[in-house]
Amino acid sequence: MRKVVVLSGGIGPRWGRWEKLTGREGAALAAKEAIERAGIEPRQIQAIFVGNALAEAEKQGHIGPIIATELGIPEVPTMRIETACASGSSAFREAFVNVAAGIYDVVLVVGVEKVTHIDVITATTYFAYGMDQVYEARNGASFPGVYAAMAVAHMNKYGTTEEQMALVSVKNHTNALHNPKAHFHKKITVEDVLKSRVIAWPLKLYDCSPFSDGAAAVIVTTEEFARKYTDNLVYVIGSGRAGVQMALPERDDLTSIKATTLAAREAYRMAGIEPKDVDFAEVHDCFTIAEIIATEDLGFFKKGEGGKAVEEGLTQIDGKIAINPSGGLKAKGHPVGATGVGQVVEVWEQFNGLAGKRTVPGAEIALTHNVGATGGTVNVHIFRRG
Amino acid sequence: MPEEIELKTHTIKDFLDGVRNGKLLGYRCRNCGYQQVTPMVFCPKCQSGDIESVELKPTGKIISFTIIHVPPESHINDAPYAWVIVELDDGPRVSGWIQFISRPEQIKIGARVRYRRSYLPGMIFELVK
Repeated sequence: MRKVVVLSGGIGPRWGRWEKLTGREGAALAAKEAIERAGIEPRQIQAIFVGNALAEAEKQGHIGPIIATELGIPEVPTMRIETACASGSSAFREAFVNVAAGIYDVVLVVGVEKVTHIDVITATTYFAYGMDQVYEARNGASFPGVYAAMAVAHMNKYGTTEEQMALVSVKNHTNALHNPKAHFHKKITVEDVLKSRVIAWPLKLYDCSPFSDGAAAVIVTTEEFARKYTDNLVYVIGSGRAGVQMALPERDDLTSIKATTLAAREAYRMAGIEPKDVDFAEVHDCFTIAEIIATEDLGFFKKGEGGKAVEEGLTQIDGKIAINPSGGLKAKGHPVGATGVGQVVEVWEQFNGLAGKRTVPGAEIALTHNVGATGGTVNVHIFRRG
Repeated sequence: MPEEIELKTHTIKDFLDGVRNGKLLGYRCRNCGYQQVTPMVFCPKCQSGDIESVELKPTGKIISFTIIHVPPESHINDAPYAWVIVELDDGPRVSGWIQFISRPEQIKIGARVRYRRSYLPGMIFELVK
């Protein structure tokens, strides 16, 4: 297996509510930023993998060749990859695999989503397509609903509190203040979270990530190719993927996402590191409880102690392990297919001195964790500064 | 023309017909006895491909729940309601919903529930004493 490097990354237009741009335009702009930051020409790209879950919200499928055409390289092969909210990291994984295996030397990964033009109920319904329609959604489950049921189980088993969940939101909003591309630049308090309207008890509005428009792109390549353009290499040292029963009810344990544990184990083994070696992580905080569960399943804290860890400030940028320095899905935003690629862009920016006030000091090893629905797909990647 | 295949087990269509009539259909592995409600053609426990349909008892207990305030389109006129995860007395776990629950105090983990027929979408449970 060849060594794989992230040569560059870009977000393009700020995440949030795009009034002027369509998804294809945002995707091309993010890709342009990544290509220019890499210092390469588009025609050096040999393949494009696109992470996208809901292009049909814009009545458009087959968006790969559209993006390639906008980039001036219509003959480059493309593929759209859908694994619900993990689509972006699944696309990244394919780039990793193809470069590692020697099939391609230079691959562009683009993630994109455009959803804010549809109304909230329709968006809620579309997002629920990522769950089992017959056995979950049809029975009245919303996306926040399935995570709320996990939250109730976690509260019941470990005593996790609504205040601890609220603190996840407060932290991620604080981090996003220093991320110019974040959906929200708004400082909030625990009180704000607790008093926001109930979406699916115990989850309130400020426990939920937003519907965001957004794109992200990275260039994945070999060590040899990257050296021609930079001395500051960001290596992909671990990659893991796993799944679990699609329908939440059929799992043995509602307080954990087994696919995270399995994907992390694979990634840690490949990287030859342990959870304690990770300096910061971008984890899938689609809901505040999801960040608490993720930090336990990834091995950063003991099972049941994720809530306490947030309370003690251990997950802040200056804490034991910085969790979501970008602002996370909660505050940086959650443009579904772009989310997992955006996490990699954050790692690349952190390791290239472009993270400004949200920089995690002295970080050498970073981890990204991206979840499709309630864990039917989980991708974990580990990076090392070269 | 219908697809030419001989089925040994019920289809999702049959399951949904059952739901409307208060009947809960599941799948059972004839080799090891493992049961689940979502379709399987191989058993996740023993990998046997010998699967049969079973009718499950409509009673069980709540494993976890949430109270939905912002519903999907299918339940737009029903919120707030409880979405529940139920462990059936026969073993399998399923989800469903309970009408007219708006506060967490009205429901708890471990509470007994019974599945009932309804013209409303999805599987409806009710709390039993």
